[in-house]
Amino acid sequence: MGMTLAEVSAKIMLFATLRKKYGVKDLTVKCDGTLFDLIEKASKILGEHFFDDVYDKNQGKVRENIIFMINGRNIKDLEGKIKIKNNDVIAIFPPIAGG
Amino acid sequence: MGKILRADLSAGTLKVERTSEDVAKKYLGGKGYAVYLLYQYLKEYESKGIPPAEIDPLGLENVLIFATGPGTGVPGFPASGRYHVMALRSPLTGSIGSANSGGEWGPFLKFSGFDIVIIEGASDKPVYIAIVDGEAELRDASALWGKNVFDTARILKKKVGGKNTSVACIGPAGENMAYMACIMNDEHRAAGRTGLGAVMGSKKLKAIVVSGSEKVPVAEPDKFKEISKRCLDAMRKNAVTGEGLPTYGTAILINIINTAGGLPYKNWQTGVNPNAEKISGETLAETYLMGRRACWGCTIGCGRVTSVKSGPFQILASEGPEYESVWALGSSTAVKDLDAVVKANHYCDELGLDPISMGSTIAAAMELNERGYIPKEDLQGLDLKFGNAAALVESVWRTAYKAGFGKYLALGSKRLCEIYGHPELSMSVKGLEMPAYDPRAIKGIGLNYATANRGGCHVTGYTVSPEILGIPEKIDPIKPEGKAKWVKIFQDFTCVVNSTVNCLFTTFALSIKDYAELLSAVTGWNLTEDDILKIGERIYNLERVIINKYGFDGKDDTLPKRLIEEEMPEGPAKGQVVELEEMKEEYYKLRGWINGKPSPEKLKELDIEL
Repeated sequence: MGMTLAEVSAKIMLFATLRKKYGVKDLTVKCDGTLFDLIEKASKILGEHFFDDVYDKNQGKVRENIIFMINGRNIKDLEGKIKIKNNDVIAIFPPIAGG
Repeated sequence: MGKILRADLSAGTLKVERTSEDVAKKYLGGKGYAVYLLYQYLKEYESKGIPPAEIDPLGLENVLIFATGPGTGVPGFPASGRYHVMALRSPLTGSIGSANSGGEWGPFLKFSGFDIVIIEGASDKPVYIAIVDGEAELRDASALWGKNVFDTARILKKKVGGKNTSVACIGPAGENMAYMACIMNDEHRAAGRTGLGAVMGSKKLKAIVVSGSEKVPVAEPDKFKEISKRCLDAMRKNAVTGEGLPTYGTAILINIINTAGGLPYKNWQTGVNPNAEKISGETLAETYLMGRRACWGCTIGCGRVTSVKSGPFQILASEGPEYESVWALGSSTAVKDLDAVVKANHYCDELGLDPISMGSTIAAAMELNERGYIPKEDLQGLDLKFGNAAALVESVWRTAYKAGFGKYLALGSKRLCEIYGHPELSMSVKGLEMPAYDPRAIKGIGLNYATANRGGCHVTGYTVSPEILGIPEKIDPIKPEGKAKWVKIFQDFTCVVNSTVNCLFTTFALSIKDYAELLSAVTGWNLTEDDILKIGERIYNLERVIINKYGFDGKDDTLPKRLIEEEMPEGPAKGQVVELEEMKEEYYKLRGWINGKPSPEKLKELDIEL
């Protein structure tokens, strides 16, 4: 048996057009703590389009124009390998702006 | 070249002059041209023995300038339905007066045959200026004095008639010289900041009506057509200007800024609003939105048409509220009832008030009151507590009419907090209330607030774009390092946009290079990216020279103590304060400024003649 990662539970919040498209404000997802698994588990609930909307398979990372925040910090600003912890709040925004 | 209308309201005369190509080559148009003209006034006053620091913002010497630029009203020039207004001094701040507005008035001024309108002196009785097909007239406005913005616009539009007619006017707030009164155009559009409506009121100028069908010249039409097509395509395909802003408008920022821990709540006591969702752009779209209203020639169309369908704050039809208005009226005041926020915003439009300064001043009054600093007899029963929706709405109309406690609110938060002995509770810079981003969570915007010439302003250098939205690239909002260079380039480039004059939102999709090409084709001058950034830097520095003459320097490039000394109590920026001195030192170095003043070498390098 290979090593298994401990299961964690995180809350995903959707905003703007993503909320409109999937008709969901927030959902709780159980995953192995990796971003890939989190998004994959969420797309099991929301539908497979969700995965492609958020994740760029070719690049192997969250899509460039998606604003992906863990506990209020953009993953682009986090150093080291991203690990989702129990009770983390994940906020996902499509490209938005204002002023 | 274009035409300038110079109105001397004291003498009751109107003069027509030509714009200068030499000045335009150095300062472009719009804001830049206005800054140049304001500086000439200061020089003239100084030669007559009137020191700039003694100019009364509501006195005869103050000058008001409405200005368009080479891009304004050009069909195909991206989002070019705007104009810029400036005054020598703002009554709210004592610094330079500066504001910008969309709608139709800017392009229609050009269609009326003029590029710039200068207002000098003051009239004895209420007047308005009608500019129709190249002819300008000063007319009696006695019958309009006291009327609100919507009625004034409706009456004057009908009276003047004609094609492409638009009204810029003041409401009761401007007439009564509330210090945060704004100039309104096309009903719901505002040249909002620095109290320019009060300046108009002090001159007894109720409105400027423009109308006409003159074509706006383009120097190289074929080249322009090609560049315009490319830029407009880019804007339509861009996720922000093509989808995000059209679908949700600006209020969509409420949730993301709150998530980042930077949405000021309860007069900036924290950056996390527990009720943000209730006043968010998503909620606004689901519950209040009836449609969109775009400015002239705009492909984005971020303006919201809204209504409150029932209840005590019912409104048949309104526009907005924008992100800034929702925040100031709803988050800084802790009012979670979006009905009331929409209503308060509607009153700001109807009576002619800047919602940012209005909401922030109410929030400051709420904190003063909750801490027991305002005597009961001053409030006359106005229950200024955080979260009180009715008190919010009542405070807005009281301010416009200076009724009861409104006479204190009408002074703005700086004077209000000084009167009650707690100046530290005014969340303002140089007297201008700061907008909707807490710099403890977004450091670059703090440096921009501190160094913005007009005071606490976000659109002088909107570093929220890279810091939070990741445009044009993502940088970490809570790190102070490297922010100075972003602030400088955003401030300089924004001067170019405000002198073009078109909409800042284009910059989410268009680059400095796109601007250089668009401006080259319209003017026929061969402008590079470096050229236009130098123009922007020149404008920013001359504006700085002007405010230096009023006594503003490095000591005023600062932030409220709360942001420098009080740690953010919660959220992702918990424990953070703004490392202002560190960022400012780097910024001054990049700018070539000493203690907030451009060095002689810098002025020489920028070819600024004093």
